[in-house]
Amino acid sequence: MIANRGEIALRINRACQELGVLTVAIFSEADRDSLHVRQADEAFCVGPGPAGRSYLNIPNIISTALITGCDAIHPGYGFLAENARFAEICADHGLVFIGPEPRVIALMGDKANAKQVVREAGVATIPGTDVVPTVEDAYEAAASVGYPLLLKATAGGGGRGMRVVEEAAELGRAFAGATAEAEASFKDGRVYLEKLIRAPRHVEVQVLADGFGNVVHLGERDCSVQKPAHQKIIEETPAPNLATPIRDSLHETALRACRYVGYTNAGTLEFLVAGTDVYFMEMNTRIQVEHPVTEMVYNIDLVKEQIRIAAGESLGYEQRDLASRGHAIECRINAEDTGNQFAPAAGTVSKLVFPGGPGIRVDTHLYAGAVIPPYYDSMIAKVIAYGDTREIAISRMERALRETLVEGVKTTIGLSLEILAAPPFRDGHYDIEFLPRELAAR
Amino acid sequence: MTSQRAYVGLGTNLGDRAENLAAAFAGLGGAGRVRRRSAIYRTRPWGRTDQPDFYNAVVEIETTMTPRELLDALQRVEQRLGRAPGERWGPRAIDLDILTYDDRIVDREDLQIPHPLIAKRAFVLVPLAELDIRFAAWRDALGASEIASVVPLDGDELARFECALRESGIDMQAEESSRAAHRVRALADFLKNSDAVRLRIERADEEIELSIRRAHSGGALGTAQRHAAEALPARVDTIRADIVGIFHFSRPAPAAGDVVDDDRDLGYIEALGIRTPVHSLGAGRLLAIAAADETPVEYGQALFVIARG
Repeated sequence: MIANRGEIALRINRACQELGVLTVAIFSEADRDSLHVRQADEAFCVGPGPAGRSYLNIPNIISTALITGCDAIHPGYGFLAENARFAEICADHGLVFIGPEPRVIALMGDKANAKQVVREAGVATIPGTDVVPTVEDAYEAAASVGYPLLLKATAGGGGRGMRVVEEAAELGRAFAGATAEAEASFKDGRVYLEKLIRAPRHVEVQVLADGFGNVVHLGERDCSVQKPAHQKIIEETPAPNLATPIRDSLHETALRACRYVGYTNAGTLEFLVAGTDVYFMEMNTRIQVEHPVTEMVYNIDLVKEQIRIAAGESLGYEQRDLASRGHAIECRINAEDTGNQFAPAAGTVSKLVFPGGPGIRVDTHLYAGAVIPPYYDSMIAKVIAYGDTREIAISRMERALRETLVEGVKTTIGLSLEILAAPPFRDGHYDIEFLPRELAAR
Repeated sequence: MTSQRAYVGLGTNLGDRAENLAAAFAGLGGAGRVRRRSAIYRTRPWGRTDQPDFYNAVVEIETTMTPRELLDALQRVEQRLGRAPGERWGPRAIDLDILTYDDRIVDREDLQIPHPLIAKRAFVLVPLAELDIRFAAWRDALGASEIASVVPLDGDELARFECALRESGIDMQAEESSRAAHRVRALADFLKNSDAVRLRIERADEEIELSIRRAHSGGALGTAQRHAAEALPARVDTIRADIVGIFHFSRPAPAAGDVVDDDRDLGYIEALGIRTPVHSLGAGRLLAIAAADETPVEYGQALFVIARG
């Protein structure tokens, strides 16, 4: 069963089809006409539009899996993907949760906890605190962490439940906002504090581990192009202009952390790189949105590997069998009004043309006539460009974005093209303050 | 594939209305077999007063199409005869609506069966009651003035319609039975507005007898009126599943037509080892059972249709 929606649900359905695995889709009333619902072998409505009553509705989701005789559940990303309790409930009902064990999800999925764990494994982490239960605790902890700092959701990911706090006066409101967003997105409103590192690069490492102790990394991705709310727009692999010792150290650290916690299935370790300093930030115990770029340079289907591993198969290859080739970039296309502080734009897609040609891959659930519901995140498509060199990948991406036509809703395509043309990006010397600076300069 | 009976409403107030109706009748033949039809009625247009009178009728059609296929077929006929997609209640060459389809309930955004506005429209209920006596009480509950606003077509216009119809080769039998129904209705009106309690007419080819029960003077609500009020549902509710599970009827099994006098268990949904009851949520009469016993149901799936009031 695919316990998700949108493009990732379609992605999972595709992997299952290629593996000969039957699929059951769940959907909310707002997603009744969604593409993956049509393509799955069976589909069940599990609730109304709002995610809390549908995609986070554990009883209805489990009930659907049992009624339809599913063997396993793939949670995708977001929603219940990093919910250890949900993984436990699956196990209780004899359903295989496609991801790590509940114990590991709880360990690494709790962001404050995860830092503690990798520190034990000898990995440097960003100075910060454990979960701060109240705003008073936050003020107290902030005094020792120092400003500027970051409030982050411990159950979070994708930039949700995050707030930058420059000074003490902002902390109260930031605490309330971060807590509320975390509660709504992950059903867990706990937050913790982290020192804000200036102008770092966000570099993450993809890992795969089977149930037999084999762990491999599949390179690193640079995801520093982020909107002000720490939401990624453009990701690429390999990370440009990254000194080899640092790159090797990132890979090495990722493997070490995974072995230490006994990690299985797919995962991503996120780091902040500032100069020669490397800090572990958090681990995502799930497939990530930007996984396609890694798939392009390693020629491995990560979702299929997830399913194979969950089915009890061994990886069948070792680190030395893996080599990345070429360069890949992904641009997320969001239905957002870039002229209005990225306000989400719901509506109907009246016209749709997606790009094609050499080295172009498009992952989307969109089709002409599709209605974009207002209840979920605004990402509607991912365009991935591959080339032997970074220059070719960039030029293919520019061509692809210019070919793309979406009418009926506003999108971030124009912004992506501007980013691709900006010198810091072209030169491959950019950090997470690059885009906010560009936007503020307008 | 078995055939189902559906009632289709026709309406036109554009151009040569008699011709349009006749052409629509002929076009309906592509959707199934037109078995019977009501008389043609003229009405003032619903919602707007600056347009020509509507001509309306209802036909009984026997079809092997699914409700959706039937809807598509009707839309094709409308398009062929030129329905302007513009205004909602404006002039139309021909307007075709599925009123009922067997005893089925369909509740989708783009298709609702029974037609949600049946109970409010005299120009639908008058011809429909002609063909199906079950709707007579609904029609009567609309009140005399509403019913009177729907007038049978006669004179030259009727002759033109019948001529156009003959040319399309539509069965004439239907016309005869609808004439009879029309006569009965006229007599019923006469009886209602008089002091008589029984009326009987004998002719060479037919015999009609009507009787009416009158309210006692001083009674708060006449018997006939009360019956009529009971017969017209003030509201129709659809009870839907709000969890995913296996749906079961209660025992003894509920059936269409059952009267529920208060909040009652009609069934339950079994999920994760827990049985969650499905309540009637108040009193009413079961119009339809929309889901089968011991089948999986999803969120929002229709289980029962209950008429309240």
